[in-house]
Amino acid sequence: MRVEDIVKYMAENIPRGRVGAVEKAVAFIIRDFKIWWTYKLWITLDVLSSLTFVATYYFVSMIVTPQALIDAGYAADYLTFSVIGISLQHYVFASVSSLSDAIREEQWNGTMETLLSSNTSFRVFLLGESAFRFIIGSYFLLASLGMGVLLGIRLLLTPGSITAALVLTILLVASHMVIGVLGAAMILKLKQGDPIVWAFSWLTQLFSGVLYPLGLLPDWLKWVGNAFPLTYSLDGLRRCLMNGEGFDSPMIMENTLKLVLFIVVVLPFSLWFFKKAYDSTRREGALGQY
Amino acid sequence: MNRLEVLKLFMVEEKRTKSSLRQLSAVVWSQLKMMLAYKSWLIMDLLSTFASVVMYYFVGMQVDPTRLSQSGWGTSYLAFSLVGVATSNYLWACLTRLSHSIQHEIRGGTLETIAVTPINMFIFFIGLTARGYLVSLIYLVGVFTVGVYGLGAKLSFTPQSLFLFITLFVLMLVSNQALGLVAAGIIMVYKRGDPLVFILAAVNEFLAGVLYPLELLKRFPAVQLLSMLFPYTYALDGMRRVLILGASILDLKVLTDIVVLGVFSIMLVPLGLKTLAWGYNRIRREGTTSSY
Repeated sequence: MRVEDIVKYMAENIPRGRVGAVEKAVAFIIRDFKIWWTYKLWITLDVLSSLTFVATYYFVSMIVTPQALIDAGYAADYLTFSVIGISLQHYVFASVSSLSDAIREEQWNGTMETLLSSNTSFRVFLLGESAFRFIIGSYFLLASLGMGVLLGIRLLLTPGSITAALVLTILLVASHMVIGVLGAAMILKLKQGDPIVWAFSWLTQLFSGVLYPLGLLPDWLKWVGNAFPLTYSLDGLRRCLMNGEGFDSPMIMENTLKLVLFIVVVLPFSLWFFKKAYDSTRREGALGQY
Repeated sequence: MNRLEVLKLFMVEEKRTKSSLRQLSAVVWSQLKMMLAYKSWLIMDLLSTFASVVMYYFVGMQVDPTRLSQSGWGTSYLAFSLVGVATSNYLWACLTRLSHSIQHEIRGGTLETIAVTPINMFIFFIGLTARGYLVSLIYLVGVFTVGVYGLGAKLSFTPQSLFLFITLFVLMLVSNQALGLVAAGIIMVYKRGDPLVFILAAVNEFLAGVLYPLELLKRFPAVQLLSMLFPYTYALDGMRRVLILGASILDLKVLTDIVVLGVFSIMLVPLGLKTLAWGYNRIRREGTTSSY
């Protein structure tokens, strides 16, 4: 067989059934769910380990004075403050890092190359890989909050505050998917030690007000927190859930607008960055390397 | 080449080291080389050390000193949390590192290869823990340095307190590593179990009061009783008494902590060694040294 024949054979246009992006994303979710479900012990223990954090801060709250919370404009309840902070930080960190982990897993198992050489665009691939992680993250988030309720956290829920909290949660997920995509791009290129996920984890713990209000930070450090969407999400969601504020509150509106702005600015950049990393890895033939 | 010549080739007597120390240093060196290969990871870990201490510094600003002192631990939450945070990494290293490393070797297919070499497997297993110990040591020194010299936490570092701290610390390592040996032996056979060790470490960390005074558990007698079943609880209590309160060996509570840790060590070390040997012999007999 001549080379031309082989090229012609490979270039043959085989009609494929049209499968939409949503259907593919759902297929990803079903696949990941099936894998996840086989590790039932892991699931139970994962939930238990996140609950130990909540329980730890239950005891820490017994020795904390709420003055700093009052100064920051929150209700005087450190347990509620810390449980919301820890639950959301874990939620977004687990979701952001799991996208990088999923790519590592695909590379490790040798399925990355196969998957991306199918008729699946990298955007659908990213959506599919991250969707399930956020769904599972929500499960842990609810478990942590549920544990918090059992331990006595006080949530002030009104129709207005629930609506605002839902909108802020959607923006929280969207903004952190953007960071997850950046981390995934780094993993594609570096294969190991994702600096974006690492930096995200530690910097947000320090500067986003997970365990203390930002008012405690010195002025020259406060600006760092402004770079992270978690800062706005936490502040907004705490005001909704602890104070019962809704969209009529200027602070909630401000946090919402900042989150929208973050997504609008960073989303195109992170997709462009991932495309660059993806194309360069493909050119080098290193898509399946780990 | 005929069969006898091939056999002869294999039977050539190569000079092999029988020194346990050299074998151990070779395994430790291999672990260090792997660790240093991930430089960015190492740098991130060092920076994390700094970040975690600073975080508890800010948490400490919210703690009411009166409530903390009522629990008997002085008025500085930073000093209180520093001892817990600095040593808890060792707890994780002792409990999880060996089983994780063995799983890694099995997954990489290298455990079988190493098993057929003349290396003493016990030495090999000790060497495997080196990486976790070294990383935890960097963390421990980093946490104390940043906390004491950078953020002004007041800890007692006299020769006597350092001696007592090291005694308690070594006993903590021995008793918890023994638990790690038990976990590694079981995981080698049943392949899955990493999550169990993970939760054991997380629950242990919670029950030992790394971030809160254990006196607060008095409201929950069952949880308090459970916390007394783990050696780390006594180690942390003793180390805090020595470093925060400047307690001496004559302090009855420190003495009790040392004795209890000694009893834990005497009971757990033989159990750990036997379980590890049982696990290793069983996977060799069953031929599952490379299956996962």
